[in-house]
Formats: sequence, structure tokens, C-alpha cells
Amino acid sequence: MSVAEKVKEIIVDQLGVSADEVLPEAKFVDDLGADSLDLTELIMAMEEEFGVEIADEDAQKIVKVQDAISYVEAKKG
Amino acid sequence: MSLPGFYIDDLHIPVPIIQGGMGVGISLSGLAAAVAAEGGVGVISAAMIGFKEPDVRTNHTEANLRALRREIRRARELTTGVIGVNILASLTDFEAMASCAMDEGVDLIISGGGLPRTLPGLVKPGQKTKLIPVVSSGRAAELLARMWITRYNRVPDAFVVEGPLAGGHLGFKRSALDAPESRLEVLVKDVVEVAKKLKETHGRDVPVIAAGGIYTHQDILDMLAIGASGVQLGTRFVATHECDADLRFKRAYVDSTQDDIQIIDSPLGLPGRAIVSPFLRNVSEGHTAPISCYCKCMASCGVEQAPYCISLALISAQRGNFRAGFAFCGANAWRVNKIVSVAELMHELTTGETSDSPAEA
Ligand SMILES: Cc1cc2nc3c(=O)[nH]c(=O)nc-3n(C[C@H](O)[C@H](O)[C@H](O)COP(=O)(O)O)c2cc1C
Repeated sequence: MSVAEKVKEIIVDQLGVSADEVLPEAKFVDDLGADSLDLTELIMAMEEEFGVEIADEDAQKIVKVQDAISYVEAKKG
Repeated sequence: MSLPGFYIDDLHIPVPIIQGGMGVGISLSGLAAAVAAEGGVGVISAAMIGFKEPDVRTNHTEANLRALRREIRRARELTTGVIGVNILASLTDFEAMASCAMDEGVDLIISGGGLPRTLPGLVKPGQKTKLIPVVSSGRAAELLARMWITRYNRVPDAFVVEGPLAGGHLGFKRSALDAPESRLEVLVKDVVEVAKKLKETHGRDVPVIAAGGIYTHQDILDMLAIGASGVQLGTRFVATHECDADLRFKRAYVDSTQDDIQIIDSPLGLPGRAIVSPFLRNVSEGHTAPISCYCKCMASCGVEQAPYCISLALISAQRGNFRAGFAFCGANAWRVNKIVSVAELMHELTTGETSDSPAEA
């Protein structure tokens, strides 16, 4: 499974949204209805899944689905 | 009937009453030491604590650290009781202030206004300060514990669970303030469940401290009966001689009616509860105080769009100027009808016996 697919799967799991809503340009708060706790949980789930550490400053910049995918791809190299 | 003490890790709390940290300048060493001397926990609020320092606008981190250090030392000179510091997680100076408080050896740090994710990472070897997050739901308690355990292998030493009747900034959306599932009893039970799980998985006792709208001895008994080990009160401690605010701030509580207490939208993007003042009336009529940012004190402040600077408004109120500021308060502030000593208040809260001095006219 590609990083993008795995990230989408985590988002579907954590936010309880359907897979076809998880478009690259979808914003977590505005489009997918996430609150600040949801975002924190999402970040933690990605850290666990990919074994990366996401600093708070970086986490704040993850606003849309594509941001999350790009972040993990860059980290995993 | 007196109230049972409890332990936070190895720290004994003789009287299970915590005086909540109140910024700006409402709970400093004066109030905190008086509460600690009565066997409760006195808490100094670190929020913009350097407001009286001459260099606060040009050098806010240094000014705040200097004032924090001074207030902690002063409290220690006044009492051998339990002293804590309240540090909002959203303060720009959060990490510097937390490190300073631990270097000064405070007994505990209480931290809300967002999740204090990085707090355990600031502990230096040998420091024993207890770390206590403020949460507004069982879910937040669980998430924070998971984060601290994964990142730092640290179980929170206690939780403060703050419900929607509290004073200051509130951790709820406006629409959730009146919801039945936001009631403090519900939240306390949820967080007690989280604490029970932590006991099973990590073998640690994590006491739960209830806050928000607790007013009488009976209210405290009710919270202890559903599993809380202690309570945190703010509003009642404002109306004491020892409270560090101007007398006019305390009088605003005594003089307020239920209609004067309103929910406002703070520039930090959170709702807050306050007593209406000439200043707030002006703001709601669309007049804005010319915005000059005091010193970028909060990471989350939308100062560009804000109608006023929250620091300046709260500093003005601390000094008793309600043309330029307003008092935060809990939902029960209108019930306050006199200013008493901390000793009298603690006696009433622990025994249920009220002193018979008359209410003020
Ligand atoms: C004037 C005022 C200022 C407050 N400032 C802070 C603060 O700086 N940080 C914080 O975590 N809580 C703050 N609080 C919340 C209190 O610590 C406490 O949890 C709350 O007031 C409890 O509710 P009660 O007022 O109904 O007893 C403040 C409350 C009041 C009334």
C-alpha cells in the first residue's frame, strides 16, 4: 500500500468519514469536521504507523489531506 | 464534617481544595500563600505575570520569568504549604515559564488552555514537580495520557477536569456550554474512568480534581462522592481580602447580578465568562480599542482581527479599571455577597459552617 493510501486509511479511521470525502484538497477542520483533539489523534496515529516524529510546529502546518501525505513522504524519503 | 486529604503521587494535600490559578495578576503569592497556609493548594497564575515590570513590553520573556521567580520565592517565604503554578499551554513563553517554575522547585504545575504536550520533556533529572493537565473531557484526558506515555513514559500525576461553569477561558464551544453531556458530573465520571484504566495499565493512582461552578461545602461533597479526590475553585477565592486584585475587582463580584454575567468571545478564539463592564459594552457596540499588541503573549491570538488586546484588558481590570477592561468570573459569581478572609472561606468550605458576619449592602 502506498503512503498516500495508508494516510487516507488512517484519516477514514480516525475521523469516521467516508473514503470518497478524503480528497487531496480536503481540509481537516473545514471539510472533514475535525476538532483540535481529532487533529492531535490523527498526528499520533500517523507517528505510530510510520514511525516518524511530527514536531508541533510541523503539525500546525498540516491543514489538508495532501499536506499529511507530503509530510510523511518527505520524512520517509 | 471535615474533608479528607489526598495524595498527588507522593505529595500530601492536607485539605482537598485547590485555589485555581487566575490571571492576570489575580492569584499571585499573596492569595496562593494564604490558601496553602490553610492546608489547601495555593496556585500562582503565570499568565502575563510580568505586567508590573518596567520592561514587559520590550522584553516580555525576561520580565515574566523575573516576576514568576519572585512570586514563587515570596510564597515560599510566607508558608511551608503546597504551592503550584498555573501556566497556560498556549502562552508563547510556556516552555520557559514551566522550566523556571520547576527550577524554583514548585510542588506542582497545572496547565490548560490547550494540551500541554511537551511539558514532561522539560523536566530535568531530580525535579519532582507534579505535572497536572487541565482537560474538558474524558477523551482529552485519555489522549493526553497516551501522548505523554508514548513520548516521555510519563503518566500525568493528576487531572483537573474543568466544566462549563468555570471562570476564565473555557474549553468548550459556545454551543456545547449548556449541553447535558458537558455537565461537570458527567465529565468527572468520564475522567475517573480514564484514571481507573491508567491504574490498571500503569499501576499509578491518578487523582481527579473537579473544577467549575463549585461553590459550597455540599458541592464539594457531591464531587468527592462521584470519585473526585479534590476540587479546584476560582470564583470564591476572588472575594477574599488576600486575593491579589484591586478591591474594585472584588467589588465587581459582590455587586454583580446574574444578568451581568455573560459569555464573550475572547481574542484567543475561545469563549470566556465575564462580568459586563463599560468596556465590554463598548466592544459589543462595535467600538474597538485601538489595537496595539502588548507583546504577542499567546500563540493562538488573532490579534490582527481582534477588537482589543486581551492582556491590556485584563491588566486594566486587575487594577480596577473597567472602562478599559473586564473581570473574568465563574457562573456563580453573582452569588458572592461579601469579601471574607481566606481562613473564613476555607473554614466554610471544609465544614459547611458559615460565619455569621452580615452580607454587605
Ligand atoms: C478571574 C479568573 C481568571 C482565571 N485565569 C485562569 C488562568 O490564567 N489559567 C487557568 O488555567 N485558569 C484560569 N481561571 C480558571 C480557574 O483556575 C478555575 O479553574 C475556575 O475559575 C473554576 O471555576 P469557578 O470559578 O466556578 O470556581 C480563571 C478564573 C477566573 C475567575
